[in-house]
Formats: sequence, structure tokens, C-alpha cells
Amino acid sequence: MTGDDPRYGAEVCRRMASLAGAGRFAPAPDIATGLAGNREQGAEVELSCRIAGGQVMEARFQAFGCPHFLAAASWLTDRLRGARREEIADWDWREAAEALEVPAAKFGRLLTLQDAVRSVVRNWPGTLGSTV
Amino acid sequence: MSDVIYLDNAATTAVDPRVVEAMLECLGPSADYANPSSVGHLPGRRARARVEQARADVAALVGADPSQVIFTSGATEADNLAILGAARFYRERGRHVVTSRTEHPAVLDACRQLEREGFEVAYLKPGPDGIVEPAQVEAALRSDTLLVSLMHVNNEIGVAQDVGAVGRLCRERGVLFHVDAAQGAGKLPLDVNRDCIDLLALTAHKVHGPKGVGALCVRREPRLGLVPMLHGGGQERGLRSGTLATHQVVGLGTALRIAAAEMQADAARIGALRERLWRGLAALPGALLNGHPSRRVPGILSVTFDGVEGVSLLYALPGFAVSSGSACATTSGEPSYVLRALGRSDRLAQSTLRLSLGRFNTEAEVERAIEAITDAVMRLRSVAPGQGG
Repeated sequence: MTGDDPRYGAEVCRRMASLAGAGRFAPAPDIATGLAGNREQGAEVELSCRIAGGQVMEARFQAFGCPHFLAAASWLTDRLRGARREEIADWDWREAAEALEVPAAKFGRLLTLQDAVRSVVRNWPGTLGSTV
Repeated sequence: MSDVIYLDNAATTAVDPRVVEAMLECLGPSADYANPSSVGHLPGRRARARVEQARADVAALVGADPSQVIFTSGATEADNLAILGAARFYRERGRHVVTSRTEHPAVLDACRQLEREGFEVAYLKPGPDGIVEPAQVEAALRSDTLLVSLMHVNNEIGVAQDVGAVGRLCRERGVLFHVDAAQGAGKLPLDVNRDCIDLLALTAHKVHGPKGVGALCVRREPRLGLVPMLHGGGQERGLRSGTLATHQVVGLGTALRIAAAEMQADAARIGALRERLWRGLAALPGALLNGHPSRRVPGILSVTFDGVEGVSLLYALPGFAVSSGSACATTSGEPSYVLRALGRSDRLAQSTLRLSLGRFNTEAEVERAIEAITDAVMRLRSVAPGQGG
């Protein structure tokens, strides 16, 4: 995927070319997953994070959506690496919007990513359902 | 665009070099550039002769008399002149219009304008195969129905309607019949007399002619009345004022003359390419053909790829010019109203590509498209939720 469409910034193009971070971890006690969105609305994502020592050791994504959404999900897997639960509890979609130069029309899609991160926080191993 | 494989011929086509050559003969200081209305001098009469030859070429394609042909700026203007012009002229006769939900916006928006003017419009829902059955039209007719408007070939899915059956029905019932033939003219046979078509709109740029020119064929026997939309010099029998663009008109006539002469050969070759394309893509699980499998124009193929988002699929095909199933992939991403009318869900409508072939496409291009689309679909599906680890 090497599109040169001017509607997409360099980071989106780079992420779409590699789709780095794509995949998922099989369910296990040290895996926190976060699901959000649905295909009927055009955006669905599953984040899965391997947790050790109270922080995200590695994150992966599976996503259905537009290039901005897929690229943001890929970007998020890097952003989450090394983060502690309390650090991402209030993660805001605007950070991805800025990093990937996402146009305002697509902001709603990024809220789906934020929901997925919140879901990861809720499913953090050993703290199921608790608040930060 | 030499590095891009163009599979968007339903949007527009490359102008055939033979058409370019004919148009150039009407431009430049030594060409037939004079105003074709200036018949008082030789250059004007030469330009007029070219215009009248083009008029005859347009008429011949659809079995009309040249006197029936009114040149316009394209099919959109022709559709508007037909629908608004006829409805306004005959408004005392009835204020009911019948059309379908899958018409081009040039027809739907003209009908909405009629609604604002006090007309009532019935929008027929096609079957899942995109076909509007003549019985549906018959059931919708009322004593005050003035006009039926039905497209010949759908621009998104390529399905061809039985305009002859609908035309004969309308003629029996004394209802005017308008056909938007923008996608079908020059690709499938049409005859305004055989098919009982009172108003037929067509365009040049879908058949390897230039953009910016089209025509409306208007029934002459008995003479059909229209209220013009443009007022001025009274050209085109007073129905479309404005100096005729000789080169554009000649481009239209030449494109349609070539289309008529090569229709059979083009249809066979392009239809075979489309079938190869579909067979290649149908090997993908979850690939769904939109529209009737056989009642269709040769060049248009609409395929839904379940589980793939359409805008990402378009993005993943940078070497190809194709269209998505979204009305506007760049802004709202609203799913196609045509696909929704066929019963496709929003999700499936947004997972759709329209691939449209033309005179200049090759087998090698089709093979490359099959390979690239297959790779892109598989890759996007592999990163979608529910695909395992």
C-alpha cells in the first residue's frame, strides 16, 4: 500500500504501507483486550496488550475502517508500549488526530479508538472492572 | 495517467483519437470555427453543415429523425430539460410523475424540483437485482400521471432496464416516457420509435467523446411540447438558446457514429473482459455481484467485498482508477443510495467497488486488476477483527 493521495498525511501513508502492530494476542491472564465500534458504523477495532510489571510490553490491533482509522490503530500500538494503566486511563483521541493529521470529518472514528483504550484499562489483568 | 490503470469508464472515458481529430477540424484559424448560426457566409455554412452531420449521427444511433435532436451541455441538462420542460408544459394535464429510486441525481433532483412545484412523484423500488419491472410501472400509473422517467442503464451497477416494455406501456396509456440513456447510448441498441421513447437524454463523454456536450431527442410525431430552461437567441428550435459549440457537437456526433459502427465488436470484447474480471474476483470468498447477472451493459461491474472497508480498499489500489460504493468517499462517506435501494446494508454498500471498462482497456490490465484487488482484499481482511492471531 503506497498511496500518494494528498488527503492522507505522511504518517498515515507510512502506517498504511506497513500496518505495523497488526494482529492479536491469544487470550491469556497477562493479556488485556479492548473492543470498540462496529462495522455497520464503519469502524471497529480490537486492541490487545501484553502486560508485565504493570505496564504494556506490547500492543497489537485488528481494525476495520478507513485509512485514517487503520493508521491510527497502528500508531496506537506504538503509543501504548511501555505505558502504565494510569497513564492511559485518560488517553485522548486528539493525540492521534494531531500525530496523524486526521481531518475533522474523521474525528468520530478516533473516538472509537479512545473507547478501545478505555476498554483495555477496564480489562487490565488483576484489576478487572476497577477504576483508576 | 500512463502509470494508472483506468477502470472508471462509467465516470468518464478517454476521448477517442478519431474524435479528437474531428474536433480539431473545428478549432483554429484555418478550421470550421465559425458560428453555425451565421449561415449568411461560407464559413458559417460549413460549420452548420458539420453541426447537421453530427445531428444526423446522433439521430441514427437511436433511430430518430435529425429534427428530433436538441444539443445540450450534457445528459444532466438534457434530463432537466426533458423532465422540467415537459412537466411544466403539460402541467394542466396531470401532476403525477413516476420514476425509480436508482435514477441518476440529474433525474432525482429534477423530480424533487417538480415536487416543490406541486407535482407528486412516485419513486419505484427496484428488485434486489436492480430491475424495475414493467408491472411495477403499470401499477404506479394513475389517471393523472403525466410522465414516467426510467434510466436505460444504471451508472453504478450497470443493470439495463427493459425500456421498450415500459415505453409501450406508457404509449398505450398516453403517458410521456423519458429515458436517461447516458450510460447505455452507444453501448446497447436503442430505438426511440421501437421503444416508444418520447424524450431520450444522452451524452458524449461516456462513449469516448468530449465532456460538456449531450443531446435530447424529442418526439416530433405528434409534436411534444417543452418549456425551455434557457432563453436567448432561439437556437435549437427555441428549446436551448446559446451559440452551438461546433467542436463539441462534432465530437458528440463522431463519438456516437463510431460507437454505432463498433457497438457489436466493442460489446463482445468489453463484455468478455468484464466476465473475466468478475470470474477472477468471484474466487474471493465474500465477493458479491451487484445487479442482475445478465441484463447489463458490457462495461460496468459492481462488486461488494464483505469484510473490507471501501475507502481503505480504494487506498490500497493506488495504481488503479476505480470508484467506491460511497456517494462521496472524500467527505461524508455516505453509502450508495443505489446499493441501499437494492437491499444492501450500509456496511456492504461501503464495501463495494465499481469497476468500469471501456474501449481502451486490455486483458493484461484486467489480469493486473484481479491480482491487485485480490491482494488488497486479503490484506485488509487479515487485519480486521475476528481474524484470529
